[in-house]
Amino acid sequence: MRKVLTIAGKEIRSYFVSPMAYVVLAFFLGVCGLIFALTVTMTQSEANMAGMFHTMIFITLMMTPVITMGLLSQEQSTGSLELLMTNPIRESEVVIGKYLAALALYMIALVASLEFALIINAFGDPDWMAILSGYIGVTLAGMAFLAIGLFSSALVANQIAAAVLGYLMLLFFWLIGWLDSAVEGVLGTIAKNISILENFQDFAKGIIDSRPIIFFASLIVFALFLSVRALENKRTI
Amino acid sequence: MIRCEGLTKYYGNHRAIADVDIHVSEGEIVGFLGPNAAGKTTAMRILTSFIPPSAGIATVAGHDVVTDSLESRRCIGYLPETASLYRDMRVTQFLRFCAGLRGMGGAETSERMEYVIDTCGLAERADSIIATLSLGYRQRVGLAQALLHDPPVLIFDEPTVGLDPNQIIEVRNLIKSLAEKHTVMLSTHILPEAAMTCERVIIINHGRIIAEDTPEALTAQIREAETVSVTLASPGESVERQLTDMTEVVAVRPQGGGIFHVDTAIGADVRAQIAEFVVGHDWGLLELRPVEMTLEDVFQQLTTEEEGVE
Ligand SMILES: Nc1ncnc2c1ncn2[C@@H]1O[C@H](COP(=O)(O)OP(=O)(O)OP(=O)(O)O)[C@@H](O)[C@H]1O
Ligand SMILES: [Mg+2]
Repeated sequence: MRKVLTIAGKEIRSYFVSPMAYVVLAFFLGVCGLIFALTVTMTQSEANMAGMFHTMIFITLMMTPVITMGLLSQEQSTGSLELLMTNPIRESEVVIGKYLAALALYMIALVASLEFALIINAFGDPDWMAILSGYIGVTLAGMAFLAIGLFSSALVANQIAAAVLGYLMLLFFWLIGWLDSAVEGVLGTIAKNISILENFQDFAKGIIDSRPIIFFASLIVFALFLSVRALENKRTI
Repeated sequence: MIRCEGLTKYYGNHRAIADVDIHVSEGEIVGFLGPNAAGKTTAMRILTSFIPPSAGIATVAGHDVVTDSLESRRCIGYLPETASLYRDMRVTQFLRFCAGLRGMGGAETSERMEYVIDTCGLAERADSIIATLSLGYRQRVGLAQALLHDPPVLIFDEPTVGLDPNQIIEVRNLIKSLAEKHTVMLSTHILPEAAMTCERVIIINHGRIIAEDTPEALTAQIREAETVSVTLASPGESVERQLTDMTEVVAVRPQGGGIFHVDTAIGADVRAQIAEFVVGHDWGLLELRPVEMTLEDVFQQLTTEEEGVE
């Protein structure tokens, strides 16, 4: 566990000594804030965050591959992986440590975004249960995105390629829900069930169901497992 | 402390090392010598569990590097060939990070950090960001992290690359002093370095070990003749023929500039006779000295012989 925290600590520090953390936070809060301001002023809607969560998850999708792109690819391209892995540390500890660092940065963004809920609270009477469930959904989906991004970063040594690969994988899970209406039968049902958007809908509506929780949890575990395997395979060519 | 048996590594179809056997006992300091692409780095990466061997076994401090690699890695301090460090970290941050990866406690970390920073001459640059360090200083940071956890086995891949002459001497002395408490294996393609620092030299070429002995024994082993270098101020026309006619002399090789290399039978010291002979002919003897065969010669001879076989 200490080794995991050592890795995580190092990555968090490098997020904050590079522009990465600030760019990511500014992007997330800036775009969320802009869309929040537009909806509030233009639609004069009732006090809820449902629309806000749809914005947030889309921005999360845009931002997570950038957060994770360098985590494992840079170790490979600079050659520091050799120094790292000749230490008495497991691949799984490296992967989890890096994942926790990415998650920490993401959570900072989410916590900062609570300001929007507080603003709504100041002017209206929002349903806090719905806000809670929305945040659970955004957190889970973001965690899955980060795990997938980390996997793509383990696969390729180039940061930009890792980001692009991450976007492609996320888009697959994002868009596959459309197959539901296009394809009949079992295939359509499967497509619907592994779609990120479909699994996210309930949370945004304020419903906390076990099925999407299990979906996101499995996606996270599976992507992290694949990252560990990818990292192991890098050295066993 | 280090044992390899039948170690073989293929990269795809390319065989980088073949059937390498290495035994290094505790407290020994062994040089791993070979030209570029000989397979030195490959062998060291296997020993440090960075890559698995295709065949054969290797153990470090009794721990198999494949099946028990967490333990074997704990016993090794490794300086990789290109010490690629995290560029955005400060030297002290980086060392602290390494200590964390090796499970070192707080007090131990502070104490050892002070020691390695001092030993590796990093005191003035300890708070610098690694990206701003010169190549030689980065190499020192690499050495510092290898020594940090006071491991019983040290594996250095070309430790003096990028260092200035003074620092090279310092590092060689450091390595020699380390050998008292550690087992050291270092790779190099600089022969004098191996001759100076190592008790034993393993020569590898094309992935195969072609010789293994003390630097002195290695030179003796393949020496075919004693050679004496004679420098003459005014050599006459017939010097070469007349010298060759001496009973003790096997061959004479003119080197130009009045220098002649005179080969005599192994074990014979004929300097006195040659001196007398030369002085008798009034050729103006300027210098007369035995020619030591250097590791360079050994190396060249061994590696060219190897190529001849293939
Ligand atoms: N990752 C790799 N993939 C494919 N081939 C490799 C790889 N690493 C090394 N090789 C090949 O294996 C052989 C041995 O390389 P190695 O790096 O072990 O040599 P070396 O003795 O360390 O050489 P140098 O003195 O130049 O450092 C070379 O022919 C090299 O091209
Ligand atoms: Mg090498």
